[in-house]
Amino acid sequence: MKTQYCFKKRLRLYSLFIVVMLKSKTFVKKTRSGGVMKIVREHYLRDDIWCGSEVCTECKQESTVLQRDACIESSLCSYPHYLIPDTNVVLHQIDVLEDPVIRNVIILQTVLQEVRHRSAPVYKRLKDIVHEKEKHFYTFTNEHHRETFIEREPGESANDRNDRAIRMASKWYSQHLKTSETGADGLKVVLLTNDQGNKQKAEDNGLLVYKCEEYIKSLIANPELVDHLALSNDEKNEITSSKVLFPEHLPLSKIQAGIKSGSFLQGTFRASRDNYLEATVFVQGEGEDSTEVLLQGLQNLNRAVHQDVVAVQLLPRDQWVAPSSVVLQDEGAAKDDNAEEEDEEKETSFSVKPTGKVVGIIKRSWRPFCGMLNVAQIKESTRHLFTPADRRIPRIRIETRQAATLAGQRIMVAIDGWPKHSRYPNGHFVRSLGSAGEKDTEQEVLLLEHDVPHQAFSQAVLSFLPKMPWAITPEDMVRREDLRNLTVCSVDPPGCTDIDDALHCRELENGNLEVGVHIADVSHFIRPGNALDKEAANRGTTVYLCGKRIDMVPELLSSNLCSLRSNVERLAFSCIWEMNHKAEILKTRFTKSVINSKASLTYAEAQMRIDDTSMNDDITNSLRGLNKLAKILKKQRIEKGALTLSSLEVRFHIDSETHDPIDLQTKELMETNSMVEEFMLLANISVAQKIYDEFPDCAMLRKHPPPPPSNYDILLKAAKSKEVEIHTDSAKALADSLDVAKVDGFPYFNTLLRILATRCMMQAVYFCSGMDSDFHHYGLASPIYTHFTSPIRRYADIIVHRLLAVAIGADSTYPDLMDKHKQSALSNNLNYRHKMSQYAQRASVAFHTQLFFKSRGILNEEGFVLFVRKNAIIVLIPKFGLEGTVFFDTKDKAAPNLVFDEEVPSLKVEEHTFCIFDKVKVTISLDASNVQHQKIRMALIEPVIPGVSVPAPDVGPQAKKPKLDR
Amino acid sequence: MATVQVSEAEKVYILHGIRDDLRVDGRGCEDYRHMEIETDVVSNTDGSAKVTLGHTVVLVGIKTEIGKPRPMLPDEGYLEFFVDCSANATPEFEGRGGEELGTELSNTLYKVFNNKHSVDLKSLCISAGEHCWVLYVDVLLLQCDGNLYDAISVAIKAALFNTKIPRVHISADEEGGKEIELSDDPYDCMRLNVENMPCIVTLCKVGHRHVVDATLQEKACSVASLIIAVTHKGTVTCARKVGGGSLDPESIFEMTEAGKRVGKALHAPLMKLLQQEESLGKTQQKVGFLG
Repeated sequence: MKTQYCFKKRLRLYSLFIVVMLKSKTFVKKTRSGGVMKIVREHYLRDDIWCGSEVCTECKQESTVLQRDACIESSLCSYPHYLIPDTNVVLHQIDVLEDPVIRNVIILQTVLQEVRHRSAPVYKRLKDIVHEKEKHFYTFTNEHHRETFIEREPGESANDRNDRAIRMASKWYSQHLKTSETGADGLKVVLLTNDQGNKQKAEDNGLLVYKCEEYIKSLIANPELVDHLALSNDEKNEITSSKVLFPEHLPLSKIQAGIKSGSFLQGTFRASRDNYLEATVFVQGEGEDSTEVLLQGLQNLNRAVHQDVVAVQLLPRDQWVAPSSVVLQDEGAAKDDNAEEEDEEKETSFSVKPTGKVVGIIKRSWRPFCGMLNVAQIKESTRHLFTPADRRIPRIRIETRQAATLAGQRIMVAIDGWPKHSRYPNGHFVRSLGSAGEKDTEQEVLLLEHDVPHQAFSQAVLSFLPKMPWAITPEDMVRREDLRNLTVCSVDPPGCTDIDDALHCRELENGNLEVGVHIADVSHFIRPGNALDKEAANRGTTVYLCGKRIDMVPELLSSNLCSLRSNVERLAFSCIWEMNHKAEILKTRFTKSVINSKASLTYAEAQMRIDDTSMNDDITNSLRGLNKLAKILKKQRIEKGALTLSSLEVRFHIDSETHDPIDLQTKELMETNSMVEEFMLLANISVAQKIYDEFPDCAMLRKHPPPPPSNYDILLKAAKSKEVEIHTDSAKALADSLDVAKVDGFPYFNTLLRILATRCMMQAVYFCSGMDSDFHHYGLASPIYTHFTSPIRRYADIIVHRLLAVAIGADSTYPDLMDKHKQSALSNNLNYRHKMSQYAQRASVAFHTQLFFKSRGILNEEGFVLFVRKNAIIVLIPKFGLEGTVFFDTKDKAAPNLVFDEEVPSLKVEEHTFCIFDKVKVTISLDASNVQHQKIRMALIEPVIPGVSVPAPDVGPQAKKPKLDR
Repeated sequence: MATVQVSEAEKVYILHGIRDDLRVDGRGCEDYRHMEIETDVVSNTDGSAKVTLGHTVVLVGIKTEIGKPRPMLPDEGYLEFFVDCSANATPEFEGRGGEELGTELSNTLYKVFNNKHSVDLKSLCISAGEHCWVLYVDVLLLQCDGNLYDAISVAIKAALFNTKIPRVHISADEEGGKEIELSDDPYDCMRLNVENMPCIVTLCKVGHRHVVDATLQEKACSVASLIIAVTHKGTVTCARKVGGGSLDPESIFEMTEAGKRVGKALHAPLMKLLQQEESLGKTQQKVGFLG
């Protein structure tokens, strides 16, 4: 065994001002193979680290962060002061620190490092605060400062050492500011810590030190800050009874040992939506086999919260139970301690599932939750329960003095902890989102609940934007093809400001046609790895809500520099085909280019130009050429078996003043829609092929798996009821049989059938070509597909752009782009964001629909039965694209006689039988009995079933809503 | 081995001087040259020492690793030696020139140090038959000016004295699987007892007398030398004869006696020095390699 040493010469750099001193930091680490390694890191100390204060005359700093008049009105500290929080204060009270009142804070490097170690989200928030200029937060690199660096001493724990380093730095600051005191401002530093021992030691050192609570409570001008305080340990004790309700969680080392030996299982905790005493833990097994473990009862759930990563222990087989079918909601704050309310309902053994109990928490995934306050019965009480909007999250106990103002508002609450003797977790108020039911508030809630990152872009991100005024440089022109002379135009929906595609078509001298699709060159502006790129990768997609757009990239790019607006020069990535008049591709090439769009048209405008025979300009001719080719392309595609499915998309007419929806209609499709779509598909397929040929291992592609045959059951049964046969053997067969499916006297039948077919489909997903072997896109009937055409609003397209740019030698590559595991992880995030953005969109539409019906009162509409369930029918109102459920069993009314036949499927209610596609008439109204979960309520009018249907109410805006039972 | 050419006249001069107990550099026959010791010189080792003896410079670094005990001695750790003859020391070592000497030195060191009488090998055992500490002793010759054995042995003793072995404890789970856990305090470490560790004294037979700590010139005049390892109590634990000439039993006896005497006298100030340096702790001024 030969060990080689590197004999490094000790560097002692003496320059005029800077003295660098070298220390080495030594620690011992256990290696993966079980060995022990001593690691030595060189640590340089310097004396050119400045204090960052405006007051200081000694430090040769160029700019200062901390203000001279650092005044926060406090009854404890009447003098101007800077705050130095310790690590735990930052970790637990980040909500307080984020408040605009708190300014002039020194964040020590020790604290920053510890925070980074312990919690990545808090670290990110802290970094964001530090970047914010108005907050005057200064990071002091005390670990590299010659006078504040300390070495760990024998017998000192790492935490004690860090506490000492914090005290050392505070001491340095207080002395430093004293000596450099120029105008006798009496500037002081105040150390904030919640650690009693640390506080004592700091006081012994003669430092100004307060507990965080003490200090925040002393802020006379801002009493509301107190609510943001997270509850600390000793305060928790007085809140709850000393009775232990939950078993202790095991320490991490034991959990790890248990998982290794197989006695525990690790999985993600998923609380049940319907029963607060039940949850499942999803255990990811090797490869495909993953299991679910059922948990029942508060004790077994043992303080796990939805989405936590937990360790579970399986119970003996004779204690296994079946999931209960009871809906249980945690209702009372009063029956606080009856934890023994587990339902003892034992079902027959055939449906029992592996049952277990939570023994420990591996990783909490607590985030601030949206919800509403249940104001306590006792008026003076400051402790209240908070009910999250998500039913899977337990109620949270918080302390606030503003209960009266917060009642009726949507608020955010963060969980601080869940002691073992407390029925509910303890938390603190983060912020108010506004009154419940208001549009802005609800929008915020749905963004938060769908985990859509929607904060304004941080300074770090914005710093990577090109400087304005921006212009195309000669270097750009050299490297790009000049296509400014081409008659390029864009066709988009009205009001679109992020135009990412433009088209052209012209006849070549040889009689063939040249068609070009020009896509905004976003990857030119977003360089890999910088903050802008990371932010865009995290956001994944632009989210379109009704009347609001949450951008993936800052507006300067999305609506200006990248948007291919008319009559400005823009950078583009072009895909140019040479085609004959039969739309057969003869040549394909890709190039980075500069274009100058001649017109930005809407679908309707473009349609008008094509139809207007009197117009004969270049743009119109180009459009006609495109349209002609698009029709041929579409025909070819449909012949290959591409599906045309249908889903009703609703468009709201929004009042320009109040932003309230005044009308809603389903979207219409024009020929030009399909024209643009056809060429986008073509470009995507061409690009997919190119990048896959070039990078078989790391191309980012999109696939649409065929649905399993069982998915079609409902479609087949529904069609059969109208004596129509649907073939689902292949996409082609399905498309053909859908085309011929018609019922006389029922024109809407085909659309309904297509809607049903859409519901049978699987989600299309992004994936990395090196990680999968099945590339087929079922819906488009294409063997390969990707997304290339919307880089402004989808991150996947940016990656595809980069890959294509490397493939044609227009740009350089970088390691992450070629790493299939990283690509795969990225596609997972994109799929998640994409899914969430769709849910958010739907939720937004649903909310606007509610607003619409709120203003309309009660409406009577005709609809069709879309699905039949055991106790309800689901009705689609084509006029509004609205779907709703008509329940036949309500809680306090005697249920009518229901007979459900799964084979047809049909539901017999008393004497009437409902089948799919039946025409019904319903009343639509808004059920506002539960403020947090408002919903559209439907009741049957026709057919008339005694005791079930309701009489048609008078329709009119003044109609008073009848009291709804719920 | 690094050698120098000595003329006949020089040889006679040296021989005559030694006969009169006066060596070329003014020492007596049982005197060492000036010796400098510094410990903890290489921060990424677990223990290290640099010894300068005249112009001989030796650096020893100790690396500790967890290994498997030898099957015959399941409850003992062990030492491994490697001697690197740097071409810095002499051009002869260039390429593979120093290999033979390195092997010879490490074999001798193995004999002298790797036994339970010199080092408490039992204390290096973590769990019998499964884990033990292995101390890799790496010796680097930086300059050769005779008497390598003595300098190396002193450096090894100092380095082992300086060695800090991280403290570990074994935790067993229910299944009997064992896990090594490491203390997170870098100061929480185990020290070795080096009291019984011998030092090597090399005696060179020059003419009818013998000298300790021979310089290269003296070495060139010597026909044979005796290497003996002596503990602080004066016990000889190992003896080896090197060189081509012969030694008569009487002079072997004499040399052994002299070696015991010198060895005993060497241990006391060495230990005192090491303890003194240790007590300085963090305030110790590092000299290092440029000092």
